[in-house]
Amino acid sequence: MPPQTPPAPPAPQPPKPSLKQTVQKTKLWKSIFRHDFSDTPRTRLQRVFGNVFLHLHPVRTPKDALRVTYTWGQGGISFYLFLVLVVTGMLLMFYYRPTTIHAFGDMKDLTYAVTLGGWLRNMHRWAAHLMVVAVILHMIRVFLTGGYKAPREYNWVVGVILLVLTLFLSYTGYLLPWDQLALWAVTVGAQMAASTPVIGNEGPFRLPFITTANDARFGLIGGTVIGDATLIRFYVLHCMFVPFIFSLFLVVHLWRVRKDGFSRQTGEKVDVWPHLISREFLAAILVTIILMAWSMLMQAPLEGIANINVTPNPSKAPWYFVGLQELLVYFDPWIAGVALPGIIVAGLMAIPYVDINPKGVGYYPKFEKRRVGPLSLSYASERPFAVGIFMLGVIMWFTLIFIGYYCRGPNWEWYMPWQAWSHRRITKMTLKSLPNLWGSLLLLCYFAQGTPFPKAVRERLAQKFGPRAPSTISAIFHIGAGVLMAAAIFVPLVFWPDVEYPFRSRYTTLFEALGRAPNAPVMAALFHLVQTSGAVGYAVIAALVAGVGLGLGYVLLRFGKFKDRMFDDLGLIKYSIVIGLLLIMTGVLGKIALRLLFGVKYLISLPAFSLNI
Amino acid sequence: MATQANAQTTWEWLEERFGRRQFLLKAGWGFFYVFLGGWLLSNLRYLLPNVLYEPSLMFKAGRPEDYAIGVSEKLKKAQRVWIIRTQKGFYCLWARCTHLGCTPNWFDAESRFKCPCHGSNYNVDGDVLAGPAPKPLWRCALSISSDGQIVVDKGRLENRRGLREKGDFFLPTSA
Repeated sequence: MPPQTPPAPPAPQPPKPSLKQTVQKTKLWKSIFRHDFSDTPRTRLQRVFGNVFLHLHPVRTPKDALRVTYTWGQGGISFYLFLVLVVTGMLLMFYYRPTTIHAFGDMKDLTYAVTLGGWLRNMHRWAAHLMVVAVILHMIRVFLTGGYKAPREYNWVVGVILLVLTLFLSYTGYLLPWDQLALWAVTVGAQMAASTPVIGNEGPFRLPFITTANDARFGLIGGTVIGDATLIRFYVLHCMFVPFIFSLFLVVHLWRVRKDGFSRQTGEKVDVWPHLISREFLAAILVTIILMAWSMLMQAPLEGIANINVTPNPSKAPWYFVGLQELLVYFDPWIAGVALPGIIVAGLMAIPYVDINPKGVGYYPKFEKRRVGPLSLSYASERPFAVGIFMLGVIMWFTLIFIGYYCRGPNWEWYMPWQAWSHRRITKMTLKSLPNLWGSLLLLCYFAQGTPFPKAVRERLAQKFGPRAPSTISAIFHIGAGVLMAAAIFVPLVFWPDVEYPFRSRYTTLFEALGRAPNAPVMAALFHLVQTSGAVGYAVIAALVAGVGLGLGYVLLRFGKFKDRMFDDLGLIKYSIVIGLLLIMTGVLGKIALRLLFGVKYLISLPAFSLNI
Repeated sequence: MATQANAQTTWEWLEERFGRRQFLLKAGWGFFYVFLGGWLLSNLRYLLPNVLYEPSLMFKAGRPEDYAIGVSEKLKKAQRVWIIRTQKGFYCLWARCTHLGCTPNWFDAESRFKCPCHGSNYNVDGDVLAGPAPKPLWRCALSISSDGQIVVDKGRLENRRGLREKGDFFLPTSA
């Protein structure tokens, strides 16, 4: 008998594949996912370039560009909020009919009768507000880190367009609830279109054939009064037209970020998956949680149904337009509503093309301290002018928003934030215009300050009239302009008769009229001085005018030296753009001060042309 | 010889720049852009409707004796006008701020109209006292219908001093 061989051990069975492994082996799975999901360098790359949505990213990026404290994620968050708005907006469209009969009722239905309807509407509204914040913060961040400098100039321009479109989306969106806030905000916005020069019925230099039934406002609201035609127009603009244009520019914007590279290029390169993707997802989740919680706690405002005959008192725009609303108080509508917004947008777009300073890309500005007399000034050492002026603009804008939101009460009268509003407070405000010639003199002297003394001119003057001539002429020019400007403000206010109401008014000069007005504190103080001390008061005023004039002249002279240097650096075209924008910006501040302190309404007023400045 | 060659190159340069080929090319593209521009502009015209379905601008405001002397706010909610009766007669102010189109409110204590949107103030004549409004309030045309009621026409407006106090814009109290 042959010896019994022990039975062969059973062949090792391959382990039973798990359900996951089975699924991953199917043709269906493989046709969708081209790579496996193990964490290897190879799959990290494959995840990014194998996926159309992630493909917009580079596969590797410098580590420092991903720091949260560098970008604050504002660009990505803006994009995510746009997606949230698209989704919530599409859901809201199921229940909303854009007609004056149905719109307001549908909003009420959404809020009270539709499951989760109110929450969705809140999410849509608050996401829109957050998006405005995020876009503005994104712009400020990009400015501060010099992200707009070469080769990213064009993408900054696209970004400004996206900012404008974001605001336009908000504007077209808030007519849709057809409540009082909606109606009056849109009334004001549409009336600004009517104040457009040339093609607006109430604007300066309107063409002879323009009437209320064919001007810019008519084209915007589709009629002479806001009604069904307006509602459907804004609905189409809000849901289709503007999002479409927005998406086009958004694609270009993101594409250019990818092509031009991040502004910060320091640090070792890391894989975008997982380092950037994880941050993006985390940001999206955080934003979603905040938005959801906020929308549960805070109801989106909905005022009473729109009534084209009754305006709420006060009637305030949403916070991001309150700055514009406040600006409209100080200027004629064609300036504050059309010209200034246009100049602001064009000026923002021009920034990368006029800023020739190559420093400051990829990091926040470094600040240095310097003592100027008794003050200790902090300034950005590498880009003092750019950062200073941009931040001044941002602060001005948010100051206007603050004033409009917290300091304005019934009849848009000034109330301190802690004061209680009263509809029965008796105030007799008065505003007076400067006589046209004096106002023109003031404007002329002001804008003449843009004239530089370039090197060539300085040298020729020195050759002709001696070495001290350029500085003497510059001093005469600047200090002379300062004194003239002070005189052009005070002299007509003190001595000019009140031409607007020569017979009806019991006052005889602008000075007396404004001296009794509660909204012209400087004139009131001077008037009081003259009342109590007579001729001495006038002497004090004269001394004050001289002092203000000389002080202004000294400031202008100091600025003059800076201006000459800037002209030599920038050349004529860039210099003209920069100085023009700068003068307009400080001019706005000056006009606001004239209005708030002196009660001056217009510098130049030509009612025949609807032209008031 | 040199001038001849020069002339020839000049001719060639001219031909290259303004020759038939260039002319056709530029004319072709020119017509294309003119067409494109015209088409886009015609779409702007499309945005201006030709027929409007808006409420009538004329309405009857009751009988003259219904009004006491002073500013009547009776019709503001329905028709957006104030009827003002003075010793001599009637005029009608359109309650639309000439600044940006909000509806002002009447304050008896100060005898002013004040606008809630940007703070314009007007006196009882409609003249601007304060705030950003550039023009006085508009006055509507008034007439008396055959049944003795005041007819207001918001389609005919006037705000110029000297013209607004007479003619269609002022209705004297009939003797």
